[in-house]
Amino acid sequence: MTRRGTTNRWRRAAGAVAALALIAGACGGDDDDDVATDEPAEADEPADADEPADADEPSDEPADAEEPSDEEPVDTTQGGSILDTVIDRGTLNCGVSGAAVAFSVTEADGSVTGIDADYCRAVAAAVLGDATAVTFTALTAAERFTAVQTGDVDVLMRNSTWTQSRDTDVGMDFGPTTYYDGQQLMAREADGFSPSSEVAEIDGAVVCTNAGTTTETNITELAGQLGIAITLQTFEDYDQVVDAFLAGTCDVITTDGSGLVGRKAVQQPEGENWVIFPATPISKEPLGPVYAQNDSQWADVVNWTVYATFIADELGITSADVDAALAGDFGPEAQRLMGGEGELQTVMGLSADAFYNVISQVGNYQEIWDANLTPVGLDREGSANAQWTDGGLIYAPPAR
Amino acid sequence: MGATMDGPIHVPQDGDAEALDYTKAAPPEEPVTPPGRWVKENLFSSTSNTIQTVIFGGLLLVLLRFVLNLVFSEENNWAAVATNVRLLMSYNYPAEQYVRIWFTVGALAAAAGLSMAAWQLHPRISVRRIGVNLLGTGGVLIVMGILTPGATPSSIRIGMLVIGAALLVIGAGLLFGTEDPHLKHVSFTAVLLTISGLIIAFLWLFPLGKYLFIDGEAIQEDGTVSATTKGPWTVTILILLASLFVGRAIGKAIGGTRPLRLAMGVWWVIGPAFLIFLVLRDPEFDWDYVLKVDLPLALAFGLGGGALLYALTKPTFADQARAVGAVLMGFAIFNWVAAFFGWYAMLQKVRFSFLALALFALAAPTFAGEKSARLRFAGMWLGLVAVGHWLITGINTPSTLDITAPPFLGGFVLTVSIAYYVMLASFPLGILLALARTSRMPIFRVLSTIYIEFVRGIPLITVLFFFSIMLNLFLPNGMAVSELAAVFTGYTVFSAAYMAENIRGGLQSVRKGQYEASDALGLTGVQRTGLIVLPQALRVSIPNLVGQAIATFKETSLIAIVGGFDLLRIADKTIPAQTAFIGQKRVGLLFICVVYWAFSYSMSRASRNLEVKLGVGQAR
Repeated sequence: MTRRGTTNRWRRAAGAVAALALIAGACGGDDDDDVATDEPAEADEPADADEPADADEPSDEPADAEEPSDEEPVDTTQGGSILDTVIDRGTLNCGVSGAAVAFSVTEADGSVTGIDADYCRAVAAAVLGDATAVTFTALTAAERFTAVQTGDVDVLMRNSTWTQSRDTDVGMDFGPTTYYDGQQLMAREADGFSPSSEVAEIDGAVVCTNAGTTTETNITELAGQLGIAITLQTFEDYDQVVDAFLAGTCDVITTDGSGLVGRKAVQQPEGENWVIFPATPISKEPLGPVYAQNDSQWADVVNWTVYATFIADELGITSADVDAALAGDFGPEAQRLMGGEGELQTVMGLSADAFYNVISQVGNYQEIWDANLTPVGLDREGSANAQWTDGGLIYAPPAR
Repeated sequence: MGATMDGPIHVPQDGDAEALDYTKAAPPEEPVTPPGRWVKENLFSSTSNTIQTVIFGGLLLVLLRFVLNLVFSEENNWAAVATNVRLLMSYNYPAEQYVRIWFTVGALAAAAGLSMAAWQLHPRISVRRIGVNLLGTGGVLIVMGILTPGATPSSIRIGMLVIGAALLVIGAGLLFGTEDPHLKHVSFTAVLLTISGLIIAFLWLFPLGKYLFIDGEAIQEDGTVSATTKGPWTVTILILLASLFVGRAIGKAIGGTRPLRLAMGVWWVIGPAFLIFLVLRDPEFDWDYVLKVDLPLALAFGLGGGALLYALTKPTFADQARAVGAVLMGFAIFNWVAAFFGWYAMLQKVRFSFLALALFALAAPTFAGEKSARLRFAGMWLGLVAVGHWLITGINTPSTLDITAPPFLGGFVLTVSIAYYVMLASFPLGILLALARTSRMPIFRVLSTIYIEFVRGIPLITVLFFFSIMLNLFLPNGMAVSELAAVFTGYTVFSAAYMAENIRGGLQSVRKGQYEASDALGLTGVQRTGLIVLPQALRVSIPNLVGQAIATFKETSLIAIVGGFDLLRIADKTIPAQTAFIGQKRVGLLFICVVYWAFSYSMSRASRNLEVKLGVGQAR
């Protein structure tokens, strides 16, 4: 009996192992890739080095799949610029929100629109000559900066505020601001507010905002400074804030001005007039591109792509006028910017017509604004986002 | 499963014609009471019963009114869902590649039809059941038509009333116009054909309106749904019907459905993976490399390994087999250690293959036996290599899809794919864990218990975060898995622990006498487990397993938190950000509620039918 029991046990164990083998094999097949190690020189598998599929992201991110495996995805310290990676890959990996009204929105047909998305396209047009060569990665607020640091995205255009701590702390750099936002308040005109109201006038009001954001901190601090008493109600989600405002639970809601204007344009009921104040926002929220630290070549490319849209706007070059600008009709600076003479673009590692492609395929700053921000009621005139010649903050160094 | 259950001794299996005999002697039908008496007996039999009926009936009406208010509220903008159906179903899959999605749907329909034929799914549906269902549906529709709030478009209200009345009339006609409606049966084929015809007619005749996309702008037009929707769906339904008849014809021609069942069983395991990775993802194979490296590798492992295993399963070679298995295992483990430290380069595929081969070699003595059994074992290995190598190659090949934002899976497709493969992968894993936990070998028992209790003690969302962020850190240098694969792995690990506990419950319900009887028959441990214990244990576990499957399906919405674009994230974040639908969340959430409910309820119904068929819960 004992002997028999022992054999049985052995056999059972073996059976279990066999089944495990099946699973292990199957799982392996499902998840993993047959990537070579990072030492192709010592490879005893001759084909390793030119293995076509040494993907870092095997199944889902086709663009990444073409990356060579013998390097970290992004290696900014050892010479290789992201610029070379992007050119080799043939597409730009751009991090966006995918769910931020007017900034980056996934449309019903799957396309991505918005000012952030357009700046992704602008960078792709500059680097690759093709504004459509963008792979958008939709990132949550929590994962956005990690994605930049790990190289999952080449550039992040995800309405991220440029702050000192972010710029200095976490291994990334900020490019020129593409949209100057700032926290404002919105209330009903019927409650005695007007666009020229001051924050002090909300004394005693119920103020609603998102929980755990800087907007919450800002308004609390400001109320303390001004010595006014407000009842602060916070909601998990901005949609809930607006719903509460619509229902009359809140007298005042507060968030970034762009968010307030967008909601006012779409959700203001007939017969009510919502007003946004104070004219000078209570916080500064400069939004712009973010990229990995210590890669100045890539930083130059992204920065000057943004500046090119500013300069084109300043000089009045629209996507329809690029050929005229190239011919010199808009002056020598415009001609240089379009690649007509000199080597402004080529020293950066771009083709001479890089910014010609940006303006012709995406447009200048005003065109990008008109396409994305005007439909939700955001007015450029008189805001901080006007050209410096019109008293705004949109200012680019000269192209020469 | 069918293949592995073949043993030298014929034991009746589910689905075998002779084995089903006991279910053919169905329990006596319940006595049929006329509707009038049924109402009186069940709803108004006493004063307290009447009061309860009135109170709860009233509550039900209030609830229905509330739901209708929610659905037909003026504030709802159903265009938000109607415009975004494409996004909800397949996220940003490129429109010009939609033929791939339709091919997938068509292939699934064909497989479903063949499977219906293979498993001889043609339940006898009594006229009474149809009549009662029609009456019930008609009644609910009429009540809904009366209760809908004033804002409801009158066409919908009238439509509800008219269709409800029509159903009532047809149902009453069937119920009262037929003699002994509970004894008369309608063939399943007829019901299926009728339903298909109605769906097709609805698609082609009902003016639901359509949306066109021109330069990203959605333009609404009146009329029936667009041809690009109704065309493919019609074809899909026709494919389903055709394959059902083809399957039946095949069954007749070869005089039995067993081969077809086997084929379909295998297909349902690897077919969907084929559809996901080769059809939907459309990898761009480097044929030169495939022919030069992938194919020779697969052939070498498949044939060489097969020959080795065939030799090792020779009954007299048991000791050598163990030795070879141990050596191979040692090498495979060393191989992986080397991978982690980057000592030498080797395709990970090769490392996997060595590991699998070692495990097979270790198991070889168990499968020692007749020539045919040995061939089958070698064949299993060959199949594993073929599928495994092909999948790894497919997954590693860059996709040609012109997708603006990865991943290529999103929306409903993502939800279903993840749920399906998590269930499929965690099922065998769960069985193994359950067997290990009830094993008499302490090391297995302890390991399995630790695993199960550890995983069950962690929230799913934690497991998902852990795997999506940490998994790549644990992998050897140069090897990485995508976010989705990481989520899939984590979810499987999690689900398997629960699955194991459900199955353990079933295992414990198997009487000791069954073990003793199988020992007395001289069955080996594997045979006893596979042929006697597991079938009984799994049968008992069906309700729990289906509960688990439904939970798995619903909890896929957590993928949204780790970055996937499933139904929830699209309805909750993506649609409300679109300029036209700023802040419109309610309709999207209502819509996905309906989708989740419809699927969960179908699973629940299917499991009920299976339970009835297998006689779960009935004394045997």
